[in-house]
Formats: sequence, structure tokens, C-alpha cells
Amino acid sequence: MATPSDTTRLSVRDLRVHFPTASSIVRAVDGISFEVRAGETFAIVGETGSGKTTTARAILGLHPRGTVQGSIRFGDRELTELSEDEWRALRGRHLALAAQGVGTAFDPVYRIGEQIAELLREHLSLTSAEIRARVQALAQQVGLEARHLVAYPHQLSGGEKQRAMLAMALACDPDVLIVDEPTSGQDVCARAEIVALLRQLRAERGMSLILISHDLAAVAQLADRVAVLYAGKLIEVGETRAILESPRHPYTWGLLNAYPNMTTTRDLRGIRGELPDPAHPPSGCRFHPRCTQVVEQCRLVEPPLVETNGRWIACHLGGLQTLLRARDLRKTFSLNGADAPTIEAVRGASIEVYEGEVVALIGETGSGKSTLARLIVGLEQRDDGRIELEGEEMTTLRGEALARARRRIQYIAQDPFESLSPRLTIAEIVREPLDIQHIGTPGERDARVRDALAAVSLPTTPEFLSRHIHELSGGQLQRVAIARALVLDPKLLIADEPVSMLDASEQAKLINLLKEIQTMRGMGLLLISHDLALVRKVADRIVVMRRGEIVEEGPASRVITTPRDEYTRALVRAAPVFTAEIGD
Amino acid sequence: MRANETLFGGIVVALFVFIALFAPLLAPYDPHALVGKPVESPSAAHPLGTNDLGQDILSELIFGARISLIVALTASALTVALGLLIGGIAGYAGGWVDVAWMRSVDVLLTLPRLPLLILLAALLGAGLPQTIAIIALLFWPHTARVMRAQTQSLRQRGYVRMAQQFGGSTAYVLTRHIVPALAPLIAFEWVMAASRAVALEAGLAFLGIGDATAKSWGLMMRFALNFKGLLLGDRWLWWLMPPALALTLLMLALTFIGIGLEKRWQPRLTRHA
Repeated sequence: MATPSDTTRLSVRDLRVHFPTASSIVRAVDGISFEVRAGETFAIVGETGSGKTTTARAILGLHPRGTVQGSIRFGDRELTELSEDEWRALRGRHLALAAQGVGTAFDPVYRIGEQIAELLREHLSLTSAEIRARVQALAQQVGLEARHLVAYPHQLSGGEKQRAMLAMALACDPDVLIVDEPTSGQDVCARAEIVALLRQLRAERGMSLILISHDLAAVAQLADRVAVLYAGKLIEVGETRAILESPRHPYTWGLLNAYPNMTTTRDLRGIRGELPDPAHPPSGCRFHPRCTQVVEQCRLVEPPLVETNGRWIACHLGGLQTLLRARDLRKTFSLNGADAPTIEAVRGASIEVYEGEVVALIGETGSGKSTLARLIVGLEQRDDGRIELEGEEMTTLRGEALARARRRIQYIAQDPFESLSPRLTIAEIVREPLDIQHIGTPGERDARVRDALAAVSLPTTPEFLSRHIHELSGGQLQRVAIARALVLDPKLLIADEPVSMLDASEQAKLINLLKEIQTMRGMGLLLISHDLALVRKVADRIVVMRRGEIVEEGPASRVITTPRDEYTRALVRAAPVFTAEIGD
Repeated sequence: MRANETLFGGIVVALFVFIALFAPLLAPYDPHALVGKPVESPSAAHPLGTNDLGQDILSELIFGARISLIVALTASALTVALGLLIGGIAGYAGGWVDVAWMRSVDVLLTLPRLPLLILLAALLGAGLPQTIAIIALLFWPHTARVMRAQTQSLRQRGYVRMAQQFGGSTAYVLTRHIVPALAPLIAFEWVMAASRAVALEAGLAFLGIGDATAKSWGLMMRFALNFKGLLLGDRWLWWLMPPALALTLLMLALTFIGIGLEKRWQPRLTRHA
């Protein structure tokens, strides 16, 4: 990262922590660099197992069994060259750690106050009276009472123990305080108090704080800068606000989406796949098996952490890609002949879908949302505007390139009965896109048909495959339509009111299924609907359309909680609620 | 009742086909041979008597089924093929192709039939192939209009649009989706065209612009009616009526099959004949 400046307190360069095991080497931290400035709060976030705590312990020289490589500079001292005695003098005095798992941090047979006093005695040459006074002052600072100091660790609550731990860490007035998961395992009230306490301490003491956490709410409230750690590698570093509001790396984006938040009504969703085994990290970019926008390079070459506009990102593609970019689309229908009135269905609408994102296009009947969808898919010819899929303008494509583009964008119509041929069998219907595009051998095509049907929870028995559409229920039919759209493995799925013809229970099942498929396959999903109550459960962003124009767009939570456009407000008000009216 | 009328039609047509196929075995005489005295009344040797040339009328009737069925089959096939090709392409392509082709069809449909018929017959000359060609040329515009309307409606169906969206070529969409969807209509049009072809062939023969040597039912009726003394006595009963009845029965049977097909496959399609 950047060269250490005058204000740099701690500078970590190319830090590697490897743990040799019987059969392999676990690369818990694999070459990370960052710096912490004076008075700054620097947060390191990531999933459990990403190497956060290992990093914290390495800074404090607490890895007797692991091999630590690289450089950790504290002021003008190189910490990796210190002897254990030198470490001990430094630890607790200048670099302090409030460790994770407060239950095990204390010696159960000593009172809390004695344990804090012991630390002061070890590092500072103070009289007994001074020590006693200091312990009381510390207790007051962290919000502990006198009775807590004479208690044994098991007599304290979790929040109180966390405070006691902070008091211990702060005892010798360290220059850098590392707080590892201070809020995990705490209830919401204790969590809020600890966050407030850390803010206050930081303001009073002017120390540097390294916050290790997966609690993004605490990070948002405390940190100046955030580093995102994935499988022992930093993948994104930047200002907290910038990262939380517009994550650029696909992993950061997924992590933020997985975090429960009071302003979001969307159902929680994880990032597909699992964190890789640190003993056998994937080749190339370590996130590539879970990423939705993988290119060949991602599998082969590890992306360096590079800066663009103050943001550091480790991604070959420079972060989250725009999957679909439609600009100023226009479509006018003329009714029977030249003199007849015309209908301006779409009047200069623009819409974007990012990789792996669910965008809901909302509007009442006749707002032009279906026409917009059909323009994007190519079922209607646009009068004007541009449509780019993964940066390629669709109209300029011919032949093989056009066929490839068609594979990447698929469409599900409102009425499956209309969009599926009554004369073909289920197997023939789902196989049709593969037949048309001449993909694979007949055997491979049949296998893909069965996979697609299994993905939408439909049977794959020969009996079912040979049925015709009039033998299926509405929900089953729409599943067949989804399976047909999936069989080409599209990057973007456009679903026009996919559940509006089904009953409420079947709607819920199908919309959850769509969402699940979307996450698993890492597709972009453009969901056209008039049902705000339904789509807000799955949408990342909501785009509101009225009379052929986009009147509002934004994150789903923002659009629903604080709609800006009058029409959106009306839609939100009109959404069904079950609350019975009481009184009046 | 629906099943019965189709069944009736089917049995009758099958009977005619059987007769036509085994005409040489079934007919007592060669229809061209002069086997008796002119205008004999029915007898054991000649169940329907003989005509003014002394030919056996029953044998003429049996061999006449061949002409009627050959014309019915080929002329209607030609009619439907032309109609499907032109109407189908116009309906599927839409735009100027549709406008240009269908305007020409409209023009053809407005031409007065009988003069056109006579003109065509005069131009092409007499003979069975010419008769078949004339019938197809007269009837295809009607079929084309029906095919075009149905194709136009099919073209807008979701599954057809989706097949195009998947990258399906015009040939693929036509053969995989449009033509199979048109199959019931094709069958119906074919049967109805066959029925009309039978009538028109008889009409052409009757007017004397058909093949004068072919032993067709139309020609039998023409010769019968040309015979001055036909209506004196009961000669018309065994000379004029048998071919007239055979003709009526065949047309009726074909129409019944058509109605049955129409009701079974296209319940919403209204009669348009």
C-alpha cells in the first residue's frame, strides 16, 4: 500500500502467517499490507476464518507455532525481529489486545481488580496507592463499578467482562489498541454501549484502534477506514463510508448483502459457496469460485491490490461489473395505420443491472415496464437507445456473437401457458434452446434438461418429461419456463411478472426459488412486477416506472422506507397490509 | 353425432377409394368397350343399362370414381400446398411481403370464376393434368387467406417468439412450430378443397371443357343430358342419377370429414367455407 507517512503508527507489509500441519501448510494470512495512522480507527472485516484474528495476533507476536514472514513496523521498530522478552515489554504497554472470547481471557481464581493491577505492576513502576487509584480510574472509564473489581470473572455478565477486558487493555495507555470482535456474543444493548465506549475512549486518548470485526454496524459507527479480508488476502480497502455505501469488490458487495439491517426488508442471503480451505487456496483470485463475474484470468492470475480514486481493490475487472446497461430506450406503438393515434410505451428509459444483482422494475399496468423488458430481450424492436450486455452493444452483434449474446440473456414471460408450446413435450420444450443453438451432443442436452428441471424442483422421470403442458399446474408450468430459461446458463434473467398468475403460497415458493437460483448461479435478475410487497423481499435495487419513464431508483430499503417520488409514495401506501384498524 | 358424421364420411370415402383401386376387378366390362346395344334398360347383363354408345353404365360409374378421387387428391394437395406456401410466408413475414402477396390474392379472388375457368381451359387445353392445374389455380387464393390469417395469429404466440429469441431460424420456426400448429387447419382445408375439386372437375367435364375421353362422372352426366330422349321414360333414373348421386355422396362424405376435423381440432375456428 502507500508509503508510511509521518503519522503512520503501525505499518504491516506483506505479512504472511503460515501454520505447518502434518500434511500441508495452512496459509491463514498470505501477504497483506496496510498501515494504521495515529488516532485512526482501522477496521478489518471478513467472514469467520478469513484470517482477521490471526492478523491481530501476529501484530502482537502471539504466534509461537506459526511462521510469521514480512514486516511489522511500529514507529521505527521492526517487530518481527524482536525477542520474546522484548515482545513482552511491548505487549500490553504499547500494543494492547482486547481479545475475542472474553470467557477465557481472565484467570478464574483472581478478582478482576487484581488482574488489572497485576498488569500495571508488570509494565509500570508505580506505588500500590497509585496502582489502586489507576485501577479505579480505569474502571470508571470503562463503566465498571467498585463491586465489579472485587468480583471473580464468572460473577460478571458478558458485557461487564468485555468492559473489564478493555480496562485491562487500556491499563498502560497503549499507542495501538487492537479490539477483536468486541461486540460478538453481546446483546444489542450491550453492543451499543461498547461501541459508545470505544468511541469515547478513542476521542479521549487519541490512540490508534484496530477493530477486528464481522459486525458491520459497529464498523460503520467506529471505523475511519475498512479493509476487507478474504481467505488471508486483502481484497478491498477504503474509507468506511465509501465502502459501505458503494462496495466495489463483488465479495464486499456480497458481504454487505448478507448482513441483517433494520432498514432492509429483503430476506437475508449469503454468498454462494464456502470460504476456501486455507491449506489449499484456489488458484488465481481466491474469490473466483464464488464470484459471479469470473473471467479466464481470474482462475490463473492472482489480482494485485491496486488503487483507483482512493479505493484499493484486488480484482482483475476493477470490481463489480455492469451486466446490463440500457440507455434512453424509446418505443412508440402505432395503432392500425399511419393516421391512428400512437402510444409512447417507453419514453427514454435507462436501466442498469450489476453482476449478481436483483433489480425490481415496479410500475402499474400500462407503465411500459413489460415493453422495456421486451426491448431489452429483443422481443420488440426499439425505436431509439442503446442496450449493452457486458459492455457489448446488442444491435451490432451478428451471427455467432449474437447467438452467444442470446444465450446470456433469458426471458420468462408472465403467462407460461402462452409461452410454452402445447404440441411439444416437457423435455422438448426445455431442450429447445439447446437444439436451436446446437449445444452439446443429444445426451449432454438431455442431461442439461434434467439438471435444469431439478434446479426448479420438478421431477425428471421419463413419465414427466413426456407430458404436455395441459397436464401441468400453473406453478409447474412457470417452473418449466424457468427451467427453459436456465438451460442456456444465462448471465441475466429477465422475468416479467413471473408469479402474478399464481396463488399466494405458490408465489412465495416460486419467488424464493428464483432468488435461490439467482444466488447459486450468480446471475443478474431483472424482475418486472407491480407487486411491491412481494419483490421487496428479494430485490437489491428498485426501479420505479411510470408512463414510460423511470421516476425513481435506488436501493430497495431506501426506496421503500423513504420514497422520493410522489408516485412511489403512492405505490408504497397502496401495498397491502394486514393490520386491523383499531379505534376511531 | 360428431363422431358419427366423421365415421360416416370416412366409411363412404374408404368405399370409394376401394372401388377406385379395384375398378378393373369390380367393373363387369371395360367402360370404353361397346358391349351392348345403345340405351339398353337395366338387365342382368347391364345392371344400369347402357349409354347411347352401348357402353356399360355401371362400369363407367366404377371407373369414374378413379377420375374423381385422383382429381380430389391431387388438385386439393396442390391447392393446399400453394395456399400454405404463399399464405404462410405472407403471414409469417408480415410487412410489405404480406401486403404485396395478399393484395395479389385479393385481385385473384375478385376475378369472375366462370369466365376465368373457360379461359384457362381454352388456354391449357383438355386433359386430366390441365383439369387438376385449373382447379388448384382457382382454389389456392382462398386457402392462402385462411393460412395467412392463422399464421399471423401463431406468429404472435409466446412460444414462437421465444423460439426466435433463442436464435431459431425462420426455417426452424416454420417447420418446428408454425406448420405443426397449422396441421389441423391443413387437414381441414385439404378435405374441403378435395370436396370442391370433385365438384369442379365434374362441372368442367359437364361443361365439356374437361378431358373428353376420360370416363368421369361429370362427363357421364353431360352425355346423358345431351341425349334427346333422356327425360322420356325412366332412362334418367339409371343413366343420369347414378353419377349425380355418386358425386353428391362423395362430396357429402368429404364435407362430413371436414366438419369432424374442424370440430375436433379447432373448436374456436368458425366455418368459413
